[in-house]
Amino acid sequence: MANNLPRRAAVLGGNRIPFARQFGPYAEASNQDMFTAALDGLVARYNLGGKHLDEVVGGAVIKHSRDFNLTREAVLGSALAPTTSAYDLQQACGTGLEAAILVSNKIKLGQIEAGVAGGVDTASDAPIMVTESLRKKLLKVNRAKGGKAQVLALARIRPTDIGISTPANVEPRTGLSMGDHMAITAKKWGITREAQDELAMKSHHNLARAYDEGFQDDLMTSFMGVSRDQNLRADSSMEKLAKLKPAFGKGDDATMTAGNSTPLTDGASVVLLGSDEWAAEQGLTPLAYFVDGQAAAVDYVHGAEGLLMAPAYAIPRMLERQGLTLQDFDYYEIHEAFAATVLSTLKAWENDEWCREKLGSDGALGSIDRDKLNVNGSSLAAGHPFAATGGRIVASLSKMLHAKGAGSRGLISICAAGGQGVVAILEGA
Amino acid sequence: MAVKTVKSIPALGPIYAKAALPGKSPGKDLPDTQLRLAGHAVDRSDLLAYQRICGFNNSDVLPHTYPHVVGFPLQMQLMAGKGFPLPLMGLVHVENVITVHREIRFDEALDITVSADNLRAHPKGKVVDLVTEVDVDGERVWEGRSTYLARGRGDAGAERGEQPPTIPTGQAAARWSLPGGLGRTYGLASGDINPIHMSAVTAKAMGFPKAIAHGMWTYARVLGAIGPVTSGPCTSHVWFKKPVLLPGKVDFVIDKSGDQVVAGLRSSRKPETEHLVLSLS
Repeated sequence: MANNLPRRAAVLGGNRIPFARQFGPYAEASNQDMFTAALDGLVARYNLGGKHLDEVVGGAVIKHSRDFNLTREAVLGSALAPTTSAYDLQQACGTGLEAAILVSNKIKLGQIEAGVAGGVDTASDAPIMVTESLRKKLLKVNRAKGGKAQVLALARIRPTDIGISTPANVEPRTGLSMGDHMAITAKKWGITREAQDELAMKSHHNLARAYDEGFQDDLMTSFMGVSRDQNLRADSSMEKLAKLKPAFGKGDDATMTAGNSTPLTDGASVVLLGSDEWAAEQGLTPLAYFVDGQAAAVDYVHGAEGLLMAPAYAIPRMLERQGLTLQDFDYYEIHEAFAATVLSTLKAWENDEWCREKLGSDGALGSIDRDKLNVNGSSLAAGHPFAATGGRIVASLSKMLHAKGAGSRGLISICAAGGQGVVAILEGA
Repeated sequence: MAVKTVKSIPALGPIYAKAALPGKSPGKDLPDTQLRLAGHAVDRSDLLAYQRICGFNNSDVLPHTYPHVVGFPLQMQLMAGKGFPLPLMGLVHVENVITVHREIRFDEALDITVSADNLRAHPKGKVVDLVTEVDVDGERVWEGRSTYLARGRGDAGAERGEQPPTIPTGQAAARWSLPGGLGRTYGLASGDINPIHMSAVTAKAMGFPKAIAHGMWTYARVLGAIGPVTSGPCTSHVWFKKPVLLPGKVDFVIDKSGDQVVAGLRSSRKPETEHLVLSLS
């Protein structure tokens, strides 16, 4: 039974392609193209060409129906051995991090030795759907037996059935966009425009510094002529951000703009995970260990909680299990879906009443040292191709923790559509 | 050998048009000139169109066959030149050897040199090699040798060169349906608008029953199916046999069990009809 004893899962490295704005340089690239490019970059960096890995796990939030086996198809098109199995998963913006949790869990259980977790999304090469009435009538035509029945079924299609729709960033149950949901939460927590703009500016400055310092050099492979995140504005300033008009929320007190919200982007990321033994065999140095992961969901539909607040619940559960406090970390990676998401989450943890009432804790979790938050930039600057954000964060945080030293700790928080959240703890190796 | 510098890739339309005109007298010897184009920049969207039609990944690394496609108009210019010993129209691409010395990124400036070499007798006529060499900053990164046959009075005793491996037998790895417009689509992506590939009507005018697929497409499609390993250091040798008529169905066969990969295309309807066989090492 020794093989089934839990063991450590190491993060050995990561790779992504630079993130590009919607309809930008990756407009013609498919999810499979981008995921394969990120994967082949990883294969090249860690000398995995022709090698067998136990699993590649990834997914995309917006997918064509033909991409049912997206990850496996990417593996077959990559330089990895074709004996590498793969599966797709999807948990909205939590996809990439959930993939890393699953791969690390299998490594810990001794079921696999090494795997890749990742994600990809394109906001450009989106599937186009016909109207629901037309879709149903076309399926009827397809079911009809014989030419006459088919002609009759076809004849039932009316001009009003004709139309197309593309995926929208809207919650199906509320009809509100994610930004409009966030605006409600931001208002509830009294998040100011200035605080949001400041967080956005810091994200850009931090990511720009990370590029200048060469931090991204071994985390990225250029693709289609793009060698750094296209959304990055190194010269971002409070003055420039203050000029933007509100994009979400209504009225004079609306605070959320295109500058403090992440834009729609295209991109892909992957992370290499393995057991200590496998890493040693390959001559690879563990950067960090994947300590724990947790998902949570909230009732955002009937108003009990904000749409993007689930990580605020997931993290205390995970901390309790690990016997840690919110302050026991060297780095915090809180995904910047919107600047207000990060600020609302932090305010909730600082609020005694909210923590007692919602988390059932003895009091507030407290504040974090803001100098440890998103120190090499986050989604506001890099962009956020939904399923690719988890891999971006795991790879960069692991590198930071390795530099900080063994035993250093990092906390990851990612909010997701549908009122969900995925969080994780990494420890420096 | 003298070097003639070319400023940009010549358009193939006028070369084909000129070649179709009668009244040129072939010379005896191969031209003692090589054509050189320095600093060619690959257009990423042209590359993507080529990758899509040939089944390569959308990658920043050039597919195995792409430098040939870039340099092909220079081969044509050389063969269409005054006094070239073989007539351009009617030349059949019978063999091709490509060596990729290292992966080439699309944003590297390519120095391309094309020369004609080794005019010789063949059992079915005469053959010539067109040699394309690609350098990046003085480093040889890619080279290809294309063998073209001018049918005519052959020499049964002529040296035949390296013989092709046997095409793999048994179950096909994949079956591909090739649409009637494949020649036009590939023609747009590659620039090779030879009328034998464009439509049944233009192909008939050139003596073919239907439009035929570009040999270079069949070669590239097979390499694309083998995978991205073909973009790295390796050598391929392809022998083109019977043309692929469009539209049509072909079976892709592959054998990876030996020292070298052997792959081929055969007709789905008549498996005994072999279209190409290729070795990769």
